[in-house]
Amino acid sequence: MVFNSLHFVWFFVVVYALYRVLPHRAQNWLLLIASYYFYAAWDWRFLALLMASTLVDYTCGIILDRTEAPRRRRIILCLSLGFNLTMLAFFKYFNFFADNLHAMFGALGWRLDFVTVRVLLPVGISFYTFVTMSYVIDVYRREIRPTRDLVDFGVFVAYFPHLVAGPILRASRLLTQIDAPRRISREQLRDGAWLIAWGFFQKIFVADNLASLANMVFDPATHQTGVNVMLGTYAFAFQIYGDFAGYSNIARGTSKLMGIELIENFRFPYLVRSPQAFWRHWHISLSTWLRDYLYIPLGGNRGSEARTRRNLLITMILGGLWHGAAWTFVLWGVYQGVLLIAYRAGDPVRWFHAWLNGSGAAARVTSWFVMWHLTCYGWLIFRARSARQLGSMTANLLADFSPRSVNVEALLVPLVMYTAPLLIVHVCEAIYDNVLIVPRLPVGVRYSVYAATFYLTMLFGNFGGAEFIYFQF
Amino acid sequence: MADDVRRHRLRRLALFAVIAAIQFIVFEAALRTWGSSEAAPAFQGLFANDAVIGYRLKPGAQVRFATADFDTQISINSTGVRDDEEIGDKPPDERRILVLGDSLVLSVQVPFQQTFCELLEQRLNRTASRVHYRVINAGVQGYGPVHELLFFRSLLPVVKPDVIIETLFVGNDIEDAVATQALLQGSPRPITETMREATTTRLRRIVRRSMVLQVLRVRALAATARFTRTAGPPEPPLQSYAAQPAPRIARGLNVIHRVVQQIEAEGRAAGARTAVMLMPARFQVNDVDYANLREVVEQAGGQLIRDAATQRIDQALEDLPVARFDALPALRAAGADVFFISTVHLTPHGHEVVAEAVEQFLRGSRLLDGF
Repeated sequence: MVFNSLHFVWFFVVVYALYRVLPHRAQNWLLLIASYYFYAAWDWRFLALLMASTLVDYTCGIILDRTEAPRRRRIILCLSLGFNLTMLAFFKYFNFFADNLHAMFGALGWRLDFVTVRVLLPVGISFYTFVTMSYVIDVYRREIRPTRDLVDFGVFVAYFPHLVAGPILRASRLLTQIDAPRRISREQLRDGAWLIAWGFFQKIFVADNLASLANMVFDPATHQTGVNVMLGTYAFAFQIYGDFAGYSNIARGTSKLMGIELIENFRFPYLVRSPQAFWRHWHISLSTWLRDYLYIPLGGNRGSEARTRRNLLITMILGGLWHGAAWTFVLWGVYQGVLLIAYRAGDPVRWFHAWLNGSGAAARVTSWFVMWHLTCYGWLIFRARSARQLGSMTANLLADFSPRSVNVEALLVPLVMYTAPLLIVHVCEAIYDNVLIVPRLPVGVRYSVYAATFYLTMLFGNFGGAEFIYFQF
Repeated sequence: MADDVRRHRLRRLALFAVIAAIQFIVFEAALRTWGSSEAAPAFQGLFANDAVIGYRLKPGAQVRFATADFDTQISINSTGVRDDEEIGDKPPDERRILVLGDSLVLSVQVPFQQTFCELLEQRLNRTASRVHYRVINAGVQGYGPVHELLFFRSLLPVVKPDVIIETLFVGNDIEDAVATQALLQGSPRPITETMREATTTRLRRIVRRSMVLQVLRVRALAATARFTRTAGPPEPPLQSYAAQPAPRIARGLNVIHRVVQQIEAEGRAAGARTAVMLMPARFQVNDVDYANLREVVEQAGGQLIRDAATQRIDQALEDLPVARFDALPALRAAGADVFFISTVHLTPHGHEVVAEAVEQFLRGSRLLDGF
């Protein structure tokens, strides 16, 4: 069940109507049943996996709380992490390793027939395993107390707005809201409605319309000149942003309507001027997860510069691999790691950083321009179907960049048309440093944005019901 | 206090209504200036209501239809078919070929001179002969086989054809036939239904005048259709091509059989010979389209057989005394550029291919013999 389907509309209307009339404990039961139904709508067989993950980590949390001996606590933590990571590795990376093993032995002239199974990827597994792992680690670190209520914990793991594509929530934020009775304010209703409308706009008007542009440019059967590769990559940059931020906004909006606050996952990430800032504004729940549970435990920036670089690289490679089992994702992780390392680098580039971070308008525009294109090249790596395609598209960017060959009608005009309204709101949010600025604008301006969002979505939206890109992660 | 709140809310509502109305005008103006869909009022001006068929091409209409792919001037003559000239009286040395069909025959995407009907006429008249051939394009956007039969009946006494070619678009004509089979009954309709239709027609006229309302109407229809579908188990799309088609496909084939049988019988009574042309869907020619659709159908739990609809219609008409011609082999041999990318209609090249193939068919099947 995707948010942009009528199935979800029916589902949410029924769930919400019941939610508003039930008392707190019954609301939690309702959320649990609804979340399991929401998940089972994709494939009921994987519901068992979700339930198993819930039970294992619920139990580990309670045992950890009761156990004092450090060695035993470490063993319990390892058992929990081992269970989650094995599940993730098997369902997400089995095919990848099997295919690479076949290819490697095939190159040596040996034929392997023992791995013939194809494993299906359960939707949202990367998200909910990260949620449960963070819970057990937090309990282990004694940063939170475990919940004794299995229903509350089940809702925390499976809560349908964030179940299949995030945001990746921490127990300290979500579990406390599930545990306590909720009051829904008028402000939450207004903000929630806007977030849902804006999320649909980002998905249906921006992402799904730009998808055809990106697909055209990234079609391996076609040759595209450098300028068209650039425009196609811009299209993909806004497609993936519209798709993922759209999902996050709908998730936040539906959750707000139920009185539960989810964290912001995106803060105008394409207006930043450094790789570090990008990761503070893009997929915030994942980047903070990687920071807190991977980068810092690895040593963070507490050791030597070489050690910090190593930690950055490991974190970003694993972050890349989290997105999917493919070498292009690994390469994307390496690229992001190298960008972060380069940003921290010494003298040869420090003067450039100093200039880029200067307060002059020219410096600000230039640094934004450089960062935007570095980000886009990252998306080119991310979207390429193979290393060969990445190589040929990069070669076209460098050696076949003829501005005259720009495809105005099929690329440039639709790109401008589908991104301009998003960028206007994006800039407005950045100026006020508030992603919920629209419902706080003067009434006339606010109503104009509401009406324009409605007309643009209805008149020019792509209502094909395409799935969200991040479901595959 | 309560009055103040109510007044405040009313003021807000009025403000929103004014803003929404202003933006409506802005979007309407923008769509009229740069828009290019079939929802455009200019394009909708091609059609007029018809008491029997529902709608038909508006006699005397002159419309310019422009999109990113084409820019066409469309002229409808006083008989209500696409032609620069009037049908007029039939001279003794003129032989008329009436081509019935839907949008693939009407072909608003190409200039009149490049439609396969016009190209066929030129081809037939290229060789010296004592007779002059006139090919009449009687295609109407959105028509199915039943509409075509009813339209044929209105044209028969005016056109006085010698050969009738009923063009069946295999992509959707089976489904269209099922949907419109009630029109074949010809029984008088109850007064309530007629009144409801009158109201609907009035509303439709209002909606047709606005491009914004047209698009919103399309969205509403799509949503209604999806809600209706969720009431029952979902059915894989493209049933005409499904390995295990729904029972209605057999009903649709029966309706098509009856339509062709009646056209043939009524044509024969008026001294005309009848043939059937099967026009393929784009994915039957375009491999990329086919791969995409096959995936969609398989995801919905079905199996797509690429030429199943063509074969099913061909077999359904086997027992009728009409010559049958399949345009698929010629189009497939000509390559993928016979159809537009943005629509499922023939490109000028596609029209050339069809015109040549139909000429060969007409001469080969001896339908023109004895003229």
